[in-house]
Amino acid sequence: MTTSDERIGEVVLEVKDLRTYFVTRWGVVKAVDGVNFNIRRGETLGIVGESGSGKSVTTLSIMRLVPSPPGHIVGGQVLLEGEDILTLDEGEMEQVRGSRIGMVLQDPMTALNPVFDIEDQVGEALKIHKGLGGQALKDTVIDMLRKVRIPAPDVRIKDYPHQLSGGMRQRVVGAIGISCDPVVLIADEPTTSLDATIQAQYLRLLRELQESTGVGIIFITHDFGIVAKMCDRVAVMYAGKIVEQGDVRQIFNNPSHPYTEALIQSVPKMEETEERLYSIPGQPPALWDLPQGCSFAPRCRYSFDKCLEEFPPDFAVDQGQHAACWLRESEGAALGVAASD
Amino acid sequence: MSTQNGSNSALLRVQNLKKHFPVGSGFLSRNKAMLKAVDGINFEIETGKTYGLVGESGCGKSTTAKLILHLEEPTEGTFFFEGQDATEFNREGMRNYKASVQAVFQDPWASLNPRMRVGGIIGEPLEVNSTMTKGAIKSRVGDLLEEVGLQQYQANLFPHEFSGGQRQRIGVARALALNPKLIILDEPVSALDVSIRAQIMNLLEDLQDEHNLTYLLIAHHLATVRYMCDKVGVMYLGRIVEEAETEELYDNPLHPYTRALMSAALPSHPDIDREEIILTGEVPSPVNPPEGCHFHPRCPSRFEPCEDNAPVESHPVPDHRVVCHLY
Repeated sequence: MTTSDERIGEVVLEVKDLRTYFVTRWGVVKAVDGVNFNIRRGETLGIVGESGSGKSVTTLSIMRLVPSPPGHIVGGQVLLEGEDILTLDEGEMEQVRGSRIGMVLQDPMTALNPVFDIEDQVGEALKIHKGLGGQALKDTVIDMLRKVRIPAPDVRIKDYPHQLSGGMRQRVVGAIGISCDPVVLIADEPTTSLDATIQAQYLRLLRELQESTGVGIIFITHDFGIVAKMCDRVAVMYAGKIVEQGDVRQIFNNPSHPYTEALIQSVPKMEETEERLYSIPGQPPALWDLPQGCSFAPRCRYSFDKCLEEFPPDFAVDQGQHAACWLRESEGAALGVAASD
Repeated sequence: MSTQNGSNSALLRVQNLKKHFPVGSGFLSRNKAMLKAVDGINFEIETGKTYGLVGESGCGKSTTAKLILHLEEPTEGTFFFEGQDATEFNREGMRNYKASVQAVFQDPWASLNPRMRVGGIIGEPLEVNSTMTKGAIKSRVGDLLEEVGLQQYQANLFPHEFSGGQRQRIGVARALALNPKLIILDEPVSALDVSIRAQIMNLLEDLQDEHNLTYLLIAHHLATVRYMCDKVGVMYLGRIVEEAETEELYDNPLHPYTRALMSAALPSHPDIDREEIILTGEVPSPVNPPEGCHFHPRCPSRFEPCEDNAPVESHPVPDHRVVCHLY
């Protein structure tokens, strides 16, 4: 996929300096610590990171679903078509969730309620947000199920989740996510529990839905294969911060943060036999006990004195690509927070 | 005990192995349906090599692992370990076998007892299976911890004090304790973080070189299998539909199912645009598998004989077997 074609339109969601902290007995955990990105109509942004990197808390913050206490969104803005949804009250926020921002979660078994049939669950958002009822609601639900390729949708709407296979369940969750024609769809590792051939079907479906509706997709994943296949742009998260962001080809051809480079090198390739993989030493740091300086420095093969002392700002590397790494200091001017879009 | 011919270097030789589970309703009904989890598979693993079994969930790869670990008894067929029939071991033979064949499991959170210290977890097989003294066990545990990249003092900690990657290292240390010959790796990295997977894969490779270990790797991730394995068998609904040396299989997949699996695998670079062979439908139930070739309802290249006749094995390329009517 290319980023330059005309299917990509105006910015629909802009996240500015988002900070979500958790107060725990070990101290303040900065799960999301100054995150900036935006997403355009028809575009797919991949947020890549390991567990604990803050990628899921970022999306929960956008949806304002961070459990509080202990979590608090302590700063930043989330502009949905220009409007800061962090300032909305709970009632107004309910009009956003499931309507203007849709969500597809990882585990379709827990995302669906086992005691309601498919019609109730897909219809719920349509009832609340679009005020549909009766036959019109039923027809719309059937139409949604047809869109996500559920065979015989007029019969299947009476099924309960346990009567569907994993792939079908995930498609039902997808149908709920897009039912109210959202401007942004957040997909949080939607295919990790699926088999390879079913995953391929599902990814193709998401892409077709995007082509027909122009929805902007935020794809949360730890898998660079999904990024390579699905995403136009990539944000790599480590320890609560985006350490590199850029166009998908820039990231693969010229990874500019050592973490991005190491991650790509440590994944085996199906296309060739490798002698030995690069393996990143150590493990991700505990967020309540981050090292001074760059969080990745203790695991980084290029780190030098400055890395251990001071956290690097974003440096521009290329058009639209920037990395928070002191190695890039000589290449580009430091970007301010506001300049990163 | 019967000794069998066959290639001498094979440490494990699986012959027409089957495992059928009775399923269905009514405890009085006579004609119970059978779930054919493993339905007549054959393969060999040579000493010091890694054999991969790949397939989607429900294809029978984990049941195969359980059969070889003697956690399930086969319905039919047998397997030979060092030339001896492993289904006919006496007590002593079984004891030796179980010490020689160990396993590393997928989920390092579920496979370690949370109430035991790590030293106890790793030392337990030694306590049960050897006559070593407490002191000797303690020093062996220390050595094992260092061998898998942990430190001796960590024997006193509990599993919850470790990260996922470290726990998997503990699982590997436990598997190594009895100096096994064969280790069954059931999805050993799929539950781990991306940056940790390479560490564990490289550790397993190093240990294999050092101890001349033989691995049976059960996995669904094709790239992991390519990196780790010397030979690969592709399973579908309880049968091995294709098998070849790793390079040959990945460069020249013959079975339509293998081709579809590979086309569905995620690319390693955005410029790789594989032609996707999208399979229709999902894997059918192994209780009532389709007639003829099990794969024919989803197969893009099916033709007449596929619906009625089960295909037989052929070798279109030397050392590359495939079960498909096309060949």
